[in-house]
Amino acid sequence: MSEFQSLLGQALAPKYLGWLVDGLWMTLHVSAVVALLSTLLGIMIAAARSSERRWLTLPAAVFLAVFRNTPLLVQLFFWYFGISSLMPEDSTEWLNTVHSLALGRYLTLSWPSFELLCAIVGLSLYSAAYVSEEIRAGMRGVAAAQQLAGAALGLTRWQVLRYVVLPQALRIALPPLLGQYMNIVKNTSLTMAIGLAELSYTSRQVEAQTFKTFQAFGVATLFYVAVIAVLEMLGQLLQRRRRLAMTGSARR
Amino acid sequence: MQLSVLTDNLPYLLWGAYPDGPLGGAALTVLLSLGSALASAALGLLLGIALSMSRGLLNFMLTAVIGFFRAIPVPMLIFWTYFLLPVVFHVDVPGVLSVMCALALIGGAYLAHSVHAGISGIGAGQWSAGLSLGMTRVAVLQHIVLPQALQMMLPSFVNQWVTLIKDSSLAYIVGVGELSFVAAQVNSRVMIYPAEIFMFIGLIYFLLCSGLGWFAHWVAGYFRPAQDGRLRQATTT
Repeated sequence: MSEFQSLLGQALAPKYLGWLVDGLWMTLHVSAVVALLSTLLGIMIAAARSSERRWLTLPAAVFLAVFRNTPLLVQLFFWYFGISSLMPEDSTEWLNTVHSLALGRYLTLSWPSFELLCAIVGLSLYSAAYVSEEIRAGMRGVAAAQQLAGAALGLTRWQVLRYVVLPQALRIALPPLLGQYMNIVKNTSLTMAIGLAELSYTSRQVEAQTFKTFQAFGVATLFYVAVIAVLEMLGQLLQRRRRLAMTGSARR
Repeated sequence: MQLSVLTDNLPYLLWGAYPDGPLGGAALTVLLSLGSALASAALGLLLGIALSMSRGLLNFMLTAVIGFFRAIPVPMLIFWTYFLLPVVFHVDVPGVLSVMCALALIGGAYLAHSVHAGISGIGAGQWSAGLSLGMTRVAVLQHIVLPQALQMMLPSFVNQWVTLIKDSSLAYIVGVGELSFVAAQVNSRVMIYPAEIFMFIGLIYFLLCSGLGWFAHWVAGYFRPAQDGRLRQATTT
């Protein structure tokens, strides 16, 4: 029992807590960027999948099969180690050096580190495969008559998709999409394997430095649970609002 | 493309140092996935039934525990089991076993919800019919509800198992020598041709995962015609 007590022992020093908070910040950052990119990419894949042209549906199907049936970790390794060996040498050098983009006078966008870049690309492509399936399910939930109505008004297929189908599909797909965003937050933890200093990476670092296993992983776990809980509550709130809106319109 | 790096290291990638050393590579990945698939199915079934049959405080606590396991990332849980299991049980727990434990807990938590959903999807009339025949709740569950629910749940079980195969790659982070780990090892030893190595590894995982999907599809199709025939017979007579 003494080992257990020493595990529960003292709290982490503020310095190490700071590391964990930095890790959480990185996790949130990457998650937000990946959620945005994978949604945009997911919409394109879903649109390609539901098109009638075979040269669009086939590559989309292959993309889904490949990215869903291989582990995210292996995909990250591929981007991190593999892609630079396939690209011309100057381009990897360019990717590895730090650039900054000045927007106006005060805002500068700094070039992300190679790990961060790989993490964002890898996670976005992987998540897009899942996000696109949710969006496609949402698109199927939009009545077919809506498309016919759009076509009858003289809209092109693209316009029907853009102005009629997608806005409704995204609203239908929102609850499962939030679930996918939770998965994205959890999946960012795999980027520790390519050396991105996110929450899991920093918790491992704190553990190695302090030997306070229980506290290091405990704080990190709490952070993860808190983020997921906030997303969950957001989902509940949105669903309740929608239910209220639906009953409201029915009464009218 | 340079394929000699693959042919040179093929045995090591497929089964590690076996028989001179411990089993590793793709063989260990298969073993790890099989073990955690069975354990997660058992755990998921148990928790799902408990979730459907319990009320009040017990139900709330079960929901909270399952929610917790669904909320934390797999690597985090692997850290927990890897570092805490030996301390709690005072024995040396092999890395493979602690990873299996983590995967089974997460897989079980996800499956519990699909089992619960499957059981709730069975009409209340089925329960009433069984109870009116004088069966106990447990007997109704065992003989009437579960057989139907499990058939509906097959796709979510297969999905979860595909996820398990993919997640078994996370054993890498605690140094268990499965496929991803030996691939990273080979990669850091030869230093060149990383794209070939990881694409090949990806291909093995792809075959494992989609193979399981095809097999499940075939099994489902194998059973469906027979069932339809029986149904048709039942309605015509």
